[in-house]
Amino acid sequence: MIKVNGVTKIYSTSSVALRDINLHIKAGEFVSVIGQSGSGKTTLSKLLIAEERPTKGGIQIGDWDISNISAGEVPLLRRQIGMIFQDYKLLPKKTAFENVAFALEVAGESNRRIRQVVPQLLEIVGLTNQATRYPSQLSGGEQQRIAIARSLAHRPKIIVADEPTGNLDSINTEEIIQILKKINEFGTTIMLLTHNRDVVNSLHRRVITLQDGQITLDQSEGKYLI
Amino acid sequence: MALIRRVFKFAFQDVGRNIGMSFMTVFILVLMLLSVNALWSVEILTGEAVHLVKDQINVSIYFTAEAKDDQVTEIQNYLKSFPEVVNLEISNSEAVLESFRERHKLNPEVLGALDELGGNPFGPTIVVKTREPGDYQKIITALDLPEYQNLIEAKSFDEHRDAINNIQNITNRLEKTVLGLSILFAVISFLVIFNTVRVAIQTQRVEIGIKRLVGASNWLIRGPYLIESILFTLLSLVITAIILYFGLHFVDPYLAVVFPSGFSLTNYYFSHILYIAGVQALAVLILTVLSSGLAMRKQLKV
Repeated sequence: MIKVNGVTKIYSTSSVALRDINLHIKAGEFVSVIGQSGSGKTTLSKLLIAEERPTKGGIQIGDWDISNISAGEVPLLRRQIGMIFQDYKLLPKKTAFENVAFALEVAGESNRRIRQVVPQLLEIVGLTNQATRYPSQLSGGEQQRIAIARSLAHRPKIIVADEPTGNLDSINTEEIIQILKKINEFGTTIMLLTHNRDVVNSLHRRVITLQDGQITLDQSEGKYLI
Repeated sequence: MALIRRVFKFAFQDVGRNIGMSFMTVFILVLMLLSVNALWSVEILTGEAVHLVKDQINVSIYFTAEAKDDQVTEIQNYLKSFPEVVNLEISNSEAVLESFRERHKLNPEVLGALDELGGNPFGPTIVVKTREPGDYQKIITALDLPEYQNLIEAKSFDEHRDAINNIQNITNRLEKTVLGLSILFAVISFLVIFNTVRVAIQTQRVEIGIKRLVGASNWLIRGPYLIESILFTLLSLVITAIILYFGLHFVDPYLAVVFPSGFSLTNYYFSHILYIAGVQALAVLILTVLSSGLAMRKQLKV
């Protein structure tokens, strides 16, 4: 599903984010990528959605080599990978419904389909009653659930979650992880980038450890070992 | 088609949900347009006033009583050959005498003196109008030929020379000042509008980033801003036109006092509506689209 072959990312001579990364994530896997701040986790997620380009090496999503993807193809790629961020990245002037709908609107989905799909997605994350609220009227946990609903809009085969619980308390963290596990059970590959020890240890799934831009450990049913 | 509808929907949604910013942008555009129109009106009025004054200036050439008709006609034809001359009016000796009597009909002493002279002491008169006040000197110089010396008794230009020169100087200075002010104001307006749009885009920087991350194409991000620019342009033009309409109606009665020719700014604007509205709409549109395009260019790099 995701193949990262010998990828190096250099921002400047004094800032090397990733060094010769080799990674293969199969379809349907739930992989946690752990590491301290500055270890290269976010750079890895940015490379997967072509927000950054590798300095060296190649990245493949399915059969699609995205290493030298054109600017016109970037929106298409981003509609196939669901992204979840620590700061939710919701559009502040749009309601919960409109935020989820926006992901479908940009892909040219019909209004009829949008009216059909968005309530289903809001139901999956348990926020049917909050559809007309703006992000500022929702709690952090609720905002993150809206972000998850939006990431599911295109039925992506991959979801990349970059520190999705970083701003949440333990109860909301648990709820978000349960939703991600549920999504994974339906066959979606999840790549969770986090430095939350408890979350990683509770999952009992594959754990990849990044340190100074290099993979130092790859455990199939791993623990947070840094 | 659905995508175009969505671009319009997002644009109207943005305008409505950023109502404060939308109001400020339209407000500044209206202020700019009003100021431009004020300068435009000053320019029109200056031109009209100068035209009015110029129209009242002429040069009278007084011939001696001995001047014969064919000699006067020769000079008349000579003057007609000058491209600067726009009008020539000739009055024969009798008409001049009649006019003199009419002017002094309340002054029996003058009329008595005239009667004592016996006969008609006046020669014919030619009144010359030129395109520009500066051209009069050329006409006067052209008449300073030795063969005309004995025919021409006087030329009234000398009396007007200072007045004509003053008007010429004032006109030139006024035109330069208005042009300078117009350029200065256009530059200030551009900077204000550019900055307003730039600030608006900056505040939506995060939003543009999110739209990109969700997979929105550049057209879908840029489109609503372009629609907004067009919308703001139309809105500001309509508001300016309404304010201007009432403003001109207010000013016109005062202008009627200054310009006895019946000049009206409202009529001027109505007769040039396509040109004035077209030029201003194009200028504002270029200003807003260019500003938003420049401000967004940086944000839309993938």
